[in-house]
Amino acid sequence: MQALSIAATGMMAQQLNVEVISNNIANMSTTGFKRQRAEFQDLLYQNLRRVGTNSSDTGTIVPSGVQIGLGVKTGSVYRIMNQGDMNNTGNKLDVAIQGRGYLRVELPSGEDAYTRAGNLSLSATGQIVTSDGYTVQPGITIPTEATDITINKDGQVQATIPGQTAPQVVGQLDLATFANEAGLDPQGDNLFLETAASGAPSVGTPGSTGYGTLLQGFLETSNVNAVTEISDLITAQRAYEMNSKVITAADEMMSVTSNLK
Amino acid sequence: MDNAILIGLSRQTAMMRQMSVIANNIANMNTTGYKSASMLFDEYVMPVASETSPDKTLSFVQDYGQFRNVADGEMQTTGNPLDVAVSGEGFLKVQTAQGVRYTRDGHLQLDGAGQLVTQDGDPVLTDGGSPITFSNDESQITIARDGTITTTRDGTTASEQVRGKLALVNFANVQDMKNEANNLLSTTQAEQPVQSPRIIQGSIEGSNVKPIIEMTNMMDVMRSYESAAKLVDAADDMRRQAISQIAGTA
Repeated sequence: MQALSIAATGMMAQQLNVEVISNNIANMSTTGFKRQRAEFQDLLYQNLRRVGTNSSDTGTIVPSGVQIGLGVKTGSVYRIMNQGDMNNTGNKLDVAIQGRGYLRVELPSGEDAYTRAGNLSLSATGQIVTSDGYTVQPGITIPTEATDITINKDGQVQATIPGQTAPQVVGQLDLATFANEAGLDPQGDNLFLETAASGAPSVGTPGSTGYGTLLQGFLETSNVNAVTEISDLITAQRAYEMNSKVITAADEMMSVTSNLK
Repeated sequence: MDNAILIGLSRQTAMMRQMSVIANNIANMNTTGYKSASMLFDEYVMPVASETSPDKTLSFVQDYGQFRNVADGEMQTTGNPLDVAVSGEGFLKVQTAQGVRYTRDGHLQLDGAGQLVTQDGDPVLTDGGSPITFSNDESQITIARDGTITTTRDGTTASEQVRGKLALVNFANVQDMKNEANNLLSTTQAEQPVQSPRIIQGSIEGSNVKPIIEMTNMMDVMRSYESAAKLVDAADDMRRQAISQIAGTA
């Protein structure tokens, strides 16, 4: 009985849908988090009577055949990359990216990772690092005697040193963009890695053509919208229930069959 | 005598298939661009031995086809600039390894090289029949109502440029299209351009399965199946009685 296994694929798909939605809701206040969406596709079809085959010698054709679909599968779980809201924190080392681009972060392995979470800090040596202590590329060190740090919208980092009238430029943050941001490989901790699907990063100065700008004292919140998620959750839950009803019905039909003498 | 059982069986076999179709509709309740299917049944009349025969003709059930409900599904706003919903008639054109396929699933994306592709990585074609590749400094991809794609290059003024127009085609008989899985359809019919295309950016078309209709159909099938089973049972009873009574009196 195909209906049983078809409904089972439906239940599995909805279960995954609920998992994706719950991850979105769990990350509602994660800095720089981009919400995900599960995308479904129909599964294979069994051709019992093919469309377009001849139904007689004179060349009449079958106008609509019998194709039994075998259920549903997950096509992709993709990330929706639109901008999150700007949250004013007032912290000198919080930067939000407005528009396209990722900050480059050097992992302990030496590999480059990419993030939109701009909650930066200083290390013991005065270097600008992420909240996990990984160096933000290209490695900027703030002099220990600096009293104030300014990061302008083009990514230039300036430090105010006591006794000097003009702030001193200590470095330049850059941004990396990708042809297909949805193809980045999420690593957790708000970090992403480059993949064949994302394309190679192109690194440039914030504010130049094709790159976003930086905003000091702000953090980009997640782009999860509670109303959308909850309504998606309700749809997914009901769809799950209906698939389970199909299983019950198919089971009842089979029990009728087995009760025949 | 066996006829009653065989007629009941033809009904039950058809019901089993109808149940599969309903199950597939419900399983695809959240599939982008999915169109619900329903079975078409036919009476198959078995000829009798001769015209003057007192026997009545026998009618069997045959499932001769399927009907695709091509009504629009509901629009779901995703906010993703590369999601497009086709409102009204028309299909997007996709170049797959097996040839050109058609889809209503407007969840598009860019691959690593910047080419506009479906979620399986197959390029989406423009009305000129070619794929579109965006360069890395192009942003703000806008897809107009008629499918025209415009991009801007940041930082420069008057930088909007038209990059092509998504192909939107229709066919004389949309029932005569073959489901190819992965939300794709194929056909050998000639393409006709859609006269008044209506593409909505930032939304995708949900499936047009109406849960309430599918659930009622499902209950209907279940109960009809039970009554067909009763018929088979009754026919079986008659035969059993015939065997025991005729054998008993002999």
